[in-house]
Amino acid sequence: MKAFKTFATGIAMSAAMAMTTAAETTSMGVVVKIGGIPWFNAMEEGIKERAAELGVEAEMIGPTSADPALQVRAIEDLIAKGVDIIGVVPNDEAALEPVLAKARAAGIKVIAHEGPGLQNVDWNFELASSDGFGEAHARLLAEKIDGPGKYAVYVGSLTVPLHNAWADAAIAYMQENHPEIELVGERYGVAESVDDSRSTALDLIAAHPDLKGFLAFGSQGPIGAGRAVEERRKGGEIHVLGPFSPGQGRAMLKDGVISGGYMWNPAEAGRVFVTLGHMLANGEEITEGTEIEGLGVVSPDVETRNIITDNLLEINTDTVDELAAKGL
Amino acid sequence: MKQLQRHLGPETLPLIAVLVLIIAVFSFASPRFLTGANFGSMASQLPVLGLLTLAMLVPILSGGLNLAIVFQANLSGLTLAWILIAFGGVEAGYGAFALGVVAAIIVGALSGLIMGLVIAYVGAHPILVSLAMMIFLRGVGEFLTRGGDVSGFPDFMNTIGYGTLLGIPVPLIIFLAAAILWHIMLKRTRHGFSVYMIGSNIKAAEYSGIPTKRTLTLIYTISGAICAVAGIVMAAQFNSVRVGHGEALLLVTVLACFLGGIDPFGGFGRVLPVVIALVILQVLSSGLNLLGANQFLSIAVWGLFLIGVMALRWLVSWLARTRKWGIM
Repeated sequence: MKAFKTFATGIAMSAAMAMTTAAETTSMGVVVKIGGIPWFNAMEEGIKERAAELGVEAEMIGPTSADPALQVRAIEDLIAKGVDIIGVVPNDEAALEPVLAKARAAGIKVIAHEGPGLQNVDWNFELASSDGFGEAHARLLAEKIDGPGKYAVYVGSLTVPLHNAWADAAIAYMQENHPEIELVGERYGVAESVDDSRSTALDLIAAHPDLKGFLAFGSQGPIGAGRAVEERRKGGEIHVLGPFSPGQGRAMLKDGVISGGYMWNPAEAGRVFVTLGHMLANGEEITEGTEIEGLGVVSPDVETRNIITDNLLEINTDTVDELAAKGL
Repeated sequence: MKQLQRHLGPETLPLIAVLVLIIAVFSFASPRFLTGANFGSMASQLPVLGLLTLAMLVPILSGGLNLAIVFQANLSGLTLAWILIAFGGVEAGYGAFALGVVAAIIVGALSGLIMGLVIAYVGAHPILVSLAMMIFLRGVGEFLTRGGDVSGFPDFMNTIGYGTLLGIPVPLIIFLAAAILWHIMLKRTRHGFSVYMIGSNIKAAEYSGIPTKRTLTLIYTISGAICAVAGIVMAAQFNSVRVGHGEALLLVTVLACFLGGIDPFGGFGRVLPVVIALVILQVLSSGLNLLGANQFLSIAVWGLFLIGVMALRWLVSWLARTRKWGIM
């Protein structure tokens, strides 16, 4: 019995070390898709950095797996904690609606990123318009393949609307402008996992000898597909394109197994979360022509609560070192 | 005290002591811990995990395992969702809901029945059978929904997910009712007695005239039915159903069972300590979230906790043995 107590105290003490002090400042919690991957580590840095600049209290919560049930649990806890702002990068929009409605009913402002279809939000912001982003990748793919061939499309998951919107735009562009390059199968929902992306790519390469390219939308997709291309020694023959974390993919880009892509800066997205949260907490209105640091001058869609901008960064052998040095 | 101990079982009192201690430490560490909001948040997070744990509990008691619980819940939820949508989605009435609930429970029970029949009459190991069922249900679900989610439920569904009755969240009432039912089933019925006997020694049980095959079939059928209830609550809380919702909870249910003193080899264990173990896990997770600790830290603490409890149990039984020898 006594040993039981000592043990429990030990655990609780270690927990108490992570204690934060309650304060009068604006407090904010951002729930992302999953913790412990470079993309969201960079976002966390951005959040922390901007929070220190503005003097607000902000934390990022990264669930241990990309399960919407865990995001719902994390948001429940944030509501109980009584934060002023909740930010979210949804895994599954529909699953979050009831808990976000509960948050707003409790007087909490809700900001989303990569969740354009969410209803119960104050604002959703994007650093890339879906058509612009998809088309930019498709254009680059056509340029790299330069001739007839086949290509495959990855998305993070079949339920991530944004990835699917990019895929739609890219596929539509390819059909219209480059009918000689043919799509293989349907899109594959594997790009949140390196292993799934790699094994799917190996299968596809084996099944289609004339496969020339991968469009991988989802942060781990290009890395996984690139590994498969590397294993099969098809660098330069099969082009892997997509948004990825430069630090993670730098060596592969230089080896030519990943051909490049566009991205937006997750650290910048983290900064925008805090900037926007700070503005909402201070009661500032966001209207046509409002300038928001990190987004530029915006023209928000009041009907759908979306703020969509185009802040694309190209990742290629010239820019990758600089981007990786920023901690991405 | 002895009487109480005998009545509650040897696991219950130490677990309650640990729970009280953890609550005390968290209340000391965070002023927001002992608030209605936090308890409300914990109360609405607990039931889904709790119902799934009940589904896991009885198979483990019988010396087996049911790895398919999450996907049984998902597929039952999908059944309810499709029936609601067939009757007009948002406009669907109570009749459609009742029909959907019955159909969902039938689907859950049926998937359990098939597993039970294979385990009992083919003699395959429960881990293999339930793993096969998990893969099958997941495949069927992903195929039928194309990985997307089904949403658009009537408003009263929200009451089941987030409503309260006399100040108690509705899902919690459902869970507590199920837990009481489970306790009665295990301690007061012939079926419950057979479960313990089969878990202790299936050969001996069979030779003593216990209908082992029928009991095994029933165990998995009932497990499937309670999964369906979990699926319905999940559908109400997320306002949508998708295959894979709650996937991360599978291993937590096993953890809760072992923490609650269920013998991993079957035959011994009670419902009440498992319920307390669930509360402990929830308090640890919500408490650490309130303190702003990393999500990975909280699962590390869960794991550490289980190891600690196992070590402690071994120590207690070792002490008891040496003391007995000392007297002799």
